[in-house]
Amino acid sequence: MGGGQYKTSALVREGLLSILRKLKSAPDQEVRILLLGLDNAGKTTLLKQLASEDISHITPTQGFNIKSVQSQGFKLNVWDIGGQRKIRPYWRNYFENTDILIYVIDSADRKRFEETGQELAELLEEEKLSCVPVLIFANKQDLLTAAPASEIAEGLNLHTIRDRVWQIQSCSALTGEGVQLKAHWQNPKV
Amino acid sequence: MGCFFSKERKTKKESRPESEEERPKQYSWDQREKVDIKDYMFNGLKDETVGRLPGKVAGQQFFIQDCENCNIYIFDHSAAVTIDDCTNCIIFLGPVKGSVFFRNCRDCKCTLACQQFRVRDCRKLEVFLCCATQPIIESSTNIKFGCFQWYYPELASQFKDAGLSIFNNTWSNIHDFTPVSGELNWSLLPENTVVQDYVPIPTAEEFRAVRVSTEANRSIVPISWGQRQKNSDESCLVVLFAGDYTIANARKLIDEMVGKDFFLVQTKEVSMKAEDAKRVFREKAPDFLPLLNKGPVIALEFNGDGAVEECQLIINKIFNGTKVQDFIDYIPD
Repeated sequence: MGGGQYKTSALVREGLLSILRKLKSAPDQEVRILLLGLDNAGKTTLLKQLASEDISHITPTQGFNIKSVQSQGFKLNVWDIGGQRKIRPYWRNYFENTDILIYVIDSADRKRFEETGQELAELLEEEKLSCVPVLIFANKQDLLTAAPASEIAEGLNLHTIRDRVWQIQSCSALTGEGVQLKAHWQNPKV
Repeated sequence: MGCFFSKERKTKKESRPESEEERPKQYSWDQREKVDIKDYMFNGLKDETVGRLPGKVAGQQFFIQDCENCNIYIFDHSAAVTIDDCTNCIIFLGPVKGSVFFRNCRDCKCTLACQQFRVRDCRKLEVFLCCATQPIIESSTNIKFGCFQWYYPELASQFKDAGLSIFNNTWSNIHDFTPVSGELNWSLLPENTVVQDYVPIPTAEEFRAVRVSTEANRSIVPISWGQRQKNSDESCLVVLFAGDYTIANARKLIDEMVGKDFFLVQTKEVSMKAEDAKRVFREKAPDFLPLLNKGPVIALEFNGDGAVEECQLIINKIFNGTKVQDFIDYIPD
């Protein structure tokens, strides 16, 4: 399979939309997106932003949230699952038929980088998620002490991921920057 | 077998000119100045009284970690606050736009306001809280909650800066992610709890300029009864529509009712839609629909025998002469 022969730049150039276009050859296809990450990462804020909804009154997620978002010919069914430590064992109930995994990280919570790295590593070893492309959102870039995506990529050893397409993206779910799907489509030649 | 992606992408790579480099997208955070994190952190302190005066945090994130026996007063609004590995501390946090997250702390007494309140792996916290959403705890015990009670002159505008309403405070309904059968990991502080005994006004010279009061009747956030047992079967809902004096009127009404020994159960500031109006005002809804567009309404729930009648009396007395649009209803228990 040879994941190692692909340069990082090629991987980074893959936008979410180009991934989607490969996944679903016909337009108006449904795509199942799973939104995971530690509690307080900003998953629900991200979900609401993707759906262009009000983000001013978001409460910690106790179970899960689902939204369907229409975007550029695709119907995205986005599943946002609560990330408290106690309920992470339930994540596996949502793995089946996932087309894309979005993993959200609070870039300003350095105390928990190890914990989030651990959870991501475990996810990438899950049988039911094998080969599923993973899009890592380095969220909360609006906070002054947020680590840049490059630092997070290095800390998480993302370059060692060889078995799937992956990308890391800086964003602020709060302000909406880096969240819009258009932002990921960097190569017009797709 | 591997992923089918591999084959496709190899083809793509070969067909794309190697020299092509997209310009990285410019984000607002690429251009801002770097900050010294030490200005926004208290780390490893012991037996000290420290803090920040109004204007000194100005909406940035703040970190409190590894502190012991400290008194920490953040008299400003912030973006988010994490409190890690602290023991026996007294903490005041001005309005926090995002989340306040306590991890691995014990024996702390706090007064704070935030959008989200989160606790994990903590023991014995006493919190006077204003929280816009349901507070949550996980793997924690002996966490006690009371209503936010604090005043200093700059606090009102700091709430606005943080995007928090003083009327949206669900401090007393806690969700526990790790409940234990037969026990409660959290409870509510008795209503006669004296805040000054828990989170006292700082006496240090550096805070002289901040004119703090912990008196209940001065609190920026109206003191609400919350989910405590109600004393009476009679409750009264008052809805104030948006206008120039709405907040002042709400405060006046609260002061008068509380002064007559009625309880303010809960408050809410919310944009009311037509469907909500129909549900709340029923047949009178058409009268109030035009007022909804002026802004969010403030709803107050009072409890006590005779609450409805007293409310009506007070409103007639106080707002005599001004055009009053209000709706008072008897809510059967």
